[in-house]
Amino acid sequence: MTKPMTNSPHSNSSQSVVFDSLADPVKRWIWRKNWKRLHDIQEKAIPIVLDGESDIIIAAPTAGGKTEAAFLPLISEVLDSPGKGGFDLVYVSPLRALINDQFDRLDDLCKNVEIPVHPWHGDISRSVKERANKTPRGILLITPESLEAIFVLRGLDIPRLFESARAIVVDELHAFFNNERGIQLRSLLTRLELAIGHRVRRIGLSATLGEMELAKQYLRPDDNESVVLLKEESDGAELKVQLRGYLDTICNMDDQKQTSKKEVASHVYSVLRGKRNLVFAGSRQNVEWYADALRGISSRSRVPLEFYPHHANLSREHRNDLEKTLKTQTAATAICTSTLELGIDIGDISCVAQIGPPYTVSSLRQRLGRSGRREGQAAVLRMYNIEAEVSNDSHPIDRIHLDLIRSIAMIQLLIEGWCEPPSKQSLHLSTLTHQILSIIAERGGTNASLLYSTLCKSGPFRNISSQLFIELLRHMGKPDISLIEQLSDGTLLLGSKGERLVNHYSFYAVFNTPDEYRIVNNGKSLGSIPITHILVPDMTIVFSGRRWRIIEVHDKEKVIQVVSDRTGKPPRFSGNAGVIHDDVIRKMKEVYIGSEIPTYLDNEAKLLLTEARDEYERLGLGRSPLFSMGKRRCIIATGVGTVKNSTLALALKSNGYKVESYDGFLEVCHEESIENLLPTFNRLTTYTSISTSDVLSEKSNLITEKYHCYLSDKLLVKDVESSRLELEALPSLAETILKQIQKGNSPVELVHSS
Amino acid sequence: MQTPQIKPRERDTIIQALKAGVVPKLGLRHIQVGRAQEIEQLVQDIDRIGDGGSSIRFVIGEYGSGKTFFLNLVRIIAIEKGMVVLSADLAPDRRIHATAGQARTLYAELTRNASTRSKPNGGAMASIVERFVTQAIRSAEGNGNSPQYVIREKLEHLEELAGGYDFATVVGRYWEGYDTGDDNLKSASIRWLRGEFSTRTDARKALGVRTIVDDASVYDKLKLLALFIRESGYKGLVISLDELVNLYKLSSVKARNSNYEQILRILNDVLQGHANNIGFILGGTPEFLMDTRRGLYSYEALQTRLAENTFAIDGIVDNSGPVIRLANLTPEDLFVLLTKIRGVMSNNKTKIPDEALTEFMKHCSKRIGEAYFRTPRNTVKAFVDLLSILDQNPSLEWHSLLGTVNIDKDGGEDLSDISDDETNDELTSFKL
Repeated sequence: MTKPMTNSPHSNSSQSVVFDSLADPVKRWIWRKNWKRLHDIQEKAIPIVLDGESDIIIAAPTAGGKTEAAFLPLISEVLDSPGKGGFDLVYVSPLRALINDQFDRLDDLCKNVEIPVHPWHGDISRSVKERANKTPRGILLITPESLEAIFVLRGLDIPRLFESARAIVVDELHAFFNNERGIQLRSLLTRLELAIGHRVRRIGLSATLGEMELAKQYLRPDDNESVVLLKEESDGAELKVQLRGYLDTICNMDDQKQTSKKEVASHVYSVLRGKRNLVFAGSRQNVEWYADALRGISSRSRVPLEFYPHHANLSREHRNDLEKTLKTQTAATAICTSTLELGIDIGDISCVAQIGPPYTVSSLRQRLGRSGRREGQAAVLRMYNIEAEVSNDSHPIDRIHLDLIRSIAMIQLLIEGWCEPPSKQSLHLSTLTHQILSIIAERGGTNASLLYSTLCKSGPFRNISSQLFIELLRHMGKPDISLIEQLSDGTLLLGSKGERLVNHYSFYAVFNTPDEYRIVNNGKSLGSIPITHILVPDMTIVFSGRRWRIIEVHDKEKVIQVVSDRTGKPPRFSGNAGVIHDDVIRKMKEVYIGSEIPTYLDNEAKLLLTEARDEYERLGLGRSPLFSMGKRRCIIATGVGTVKNSTLALALKSNGYKVESYDGFLEVCHEESIENLLPTFNRLTTYTSISTSDVLSEKSNLITEKYHCYLSDKLLVKDVESSRLELEALPSLAETILKQIQKGNSPVELVHSS
Repeated sequence: MQTPQIKPRERDTIIQALKAGVVPKLGLRHIQVGRAQEIEQLVQDIDRIGDGGSSIRFVIGEYGSGKTFFLNLVRIIAIEKGMVVLSADLAPDRRIHATAGQARTLYAELTRNASTRSKPNGGAMASIVERFVTQAIRSAEGNGNSPQYVIREKLEHLEELAGGYDFATVVGRYWEGYDTGDDNLKSASIRWLRGEFSTRTDARKALGVRTIVDDASVYDKLKLLALFIRESGYKGLVISLDELVNLYKLSSVKARNSNYEQILRILNDVLQGHANNIGFILGGTPEFLMDTRRGLYSYEALQTRLAENTFAIDGIVDNSGPVIRLANLTPEDLFVLLTKIRGVMSNNKTKIPDEALTEFMKHCSKRIGEAYFRTPRNTVKAFVDLLSILDQNPSLEWHSLLGTVNIDKDGGEDLSDISDDETNDELTSFKL
């Protein structure tokens, strides 16, 4: 269990100038705390925060003192020139648990100097919020959702509450880059500045990332050049990682004993019991399986139960109870689905376990950020990968242990400080719909051009043309949608459905927990899996060891109708869900062709890695991206992430092939022969204008975000096209793959047939 | 109607207000045209209020059709007839019913705008109480009682109504302050009457009463105020509320219904004769009234009470019901209006001929169709602009300017706190 990170040397000027620049009560607090000296990042940040108005990003590892780096000088400023009323400082955090934690720390500092600190989120009692609302002073600690609620419920109070805010501190800035919530927060910040009529300085606290330009861009989109970046290079925090491999042998493939899963469960039991942990176990089925296994082990060992399943299908009350248990009980472990991380609000845990590979590096980073929050405590990540034993007739996808390699690649990227960048061209129509409703509620009616200028000119929805905006508004106003309606003078008001949505507390959160798809064969439910790539009828998927052809996708009901497809042997493990970025796939390739064996692997994992590399070499995937599996079937290494991979899959599907997607690979099959594959690729390289309708059929799974279900089919397709497909990249992708095939020693019969 | 002499101050006020597209507070009679029937009806109402009766009227008209003008006109008539008039515009933070202080804010706004004949521009609360006290003193002198005794006797009526005891106590405190020369006490009791105390503790400290004007008691306090005003020697109380469309815009169904419920309560009181010496005039758009999903008609009980006379169609009007629809100005009315504005504006140097007025009207109707006389606001504004240009540039000819006059369709109050530099045409005229 190793992955050392060096400890940072603190600044050694014991009585620094920086320290002297703080206000007296703040200095007194530091003395009382017995701090020997200020952290490096604090030494750097304090003068810049004290000096002027610039936006700042403070990047340092967890427990590196970033919060103090921002708040000590800000509080000094407030003390030096008290505000006129309204909150002086606003702190936005993605986690309620983090706010409670921050409240304890700041209140300790502020109670002596009579600056009130107001926590404000879903669990805070009404009276506390009411008090803050009546006498808005001092520091407000709030979640994006509660800020949204203030806009919706007390829109008119916004100027009064925030007029004299000196700074908005956004904690865990990296958690906001790439998701609906991030767009929502950006929109809220813009609306806040518009409502109070002036710019408020923004201070972002972030983990150290390789690509900090992203954070600047996020913090102040129009003026990212002027954002000051303060970075603590030397990583003070420790990260402990272990990746354990497990072999699923041929003989227990079909039995019900599931030996390797049991091994994982007993290891989880032995290392996690007695602490607070989060275990991410992939699908709901897996969550239930592991929770049950751990319950069994606990009761056999006659110890109290500490492992609880947690997924979107549990009832709300049950989940609330569970969350309360997880917050209060000192030893409790939640086992949850991989998609649920935003829904669980638990901070301060000792270990994050991940069974199977994670979906994105940024979610992995965020999960890790919940552990090791105290100084001197390491963030702990345990990963478990089960791989199939390789035999003579193993499927190529099983041979190269994709999941294990992806886990390694992601850990590698995590250590390098990489993070998924936001996709530039996404339209975010779901979040836009939400914000339109929110602004109408805030102002009690507004008109179309103001909405457009607020959201799409000043706000974050810059990709929306006015035509598209109008199309969206028109659709929202249709009688059967009735999200909005219009007065004769053009004022837009909430429609009956819109009112119902806005008046319910669930409106404030813009993200939802994606539901799993139920796989149904002949009226019989086979089980459910999370699916994030686009599926259309006639594609094939692998589920519970068999290959199925999709008949219909029912998007609203989350049901996929399949029939058994008996062509060819399926791999034992299907591709995992999740939107994998191009860079992750590139890293996976590096792992395959590299020779270094990371120190954080256990023995079994080391063996598996070596085996995967050997098989990769043997299949010739390093030389040519095409591996033929007979006359009708082949595997193509596309070398690109889920978005482009799905685009190519859909393009091939529309050319009559049956396609299955894996991380960076496609398995292509044709009824008669795949000899026309290369000509098909040739044709794809010349596709200059492909419309979405060429590749997408009506019956695919397009609804992924919370307000997608209110969009028209046309808008939905546009949104999907902007975020989950990349049609422009298709010709060049086809060309690259074609060139590699022709360059490599691909199987002779294919070259001849082209 | 012969035009009365216009004072310079009135003239300036009128011109300034018309230019900005709002209704002037002074000198309305100089630019008043048409709607004789409706005004006649309201005058009758005011007389009824003076005789101890009560009334409620919903003045319904499109944006810019002259609701506010009409309400102001009625206000001035009522003041002239010796009434106290409280007026306020509803806003998202000023409602008839609320739970977070918005109703109290409305009450405070109303009492701040209290106007009487001696104080026609608002701020009359103090003088009303002052008049109550001096009246008491005078009648005490007349019949040889102590003023205190007379005041107590007068206030006894108040105590019969809900919340009357504290109301009477507060007025009594004013007398105490008056008697002992304690200005703090006097101003505290005025502040209480104006609904400016926001906590009970403050009120108790300052005046020794345990209640304040709060969201729940606004209508009760208005009824008390009506009685009190009567005791002070005024004829009655007229409450004029404008921009009721703000209730319609509320996005919470619950909040809307509570407000409509409050309106129903007022309506019932008035129509059944429970309330005395009090009249309400409420201005709103047709949508506010008629929309069956979110307007007044969405509230079943109000719909039946406010349903208009089914015989009153095609120009036949029935103004005896609670709803008064502002009839459209006819082109003739508009011509008279423009003539009057010309009369107010012109300083004899640059008088434009009648021919110019008809040309102007033609131009308007070409630009925006018949809407120009249904909603006079923008037409008047454009006309005033035109006249002032001619006024300042005597060399210009009205013929040459007419073609450049630009008139927009009336869009009602906008939320223009965000500057929208490059307005996108399609979005501005956006229709669902």
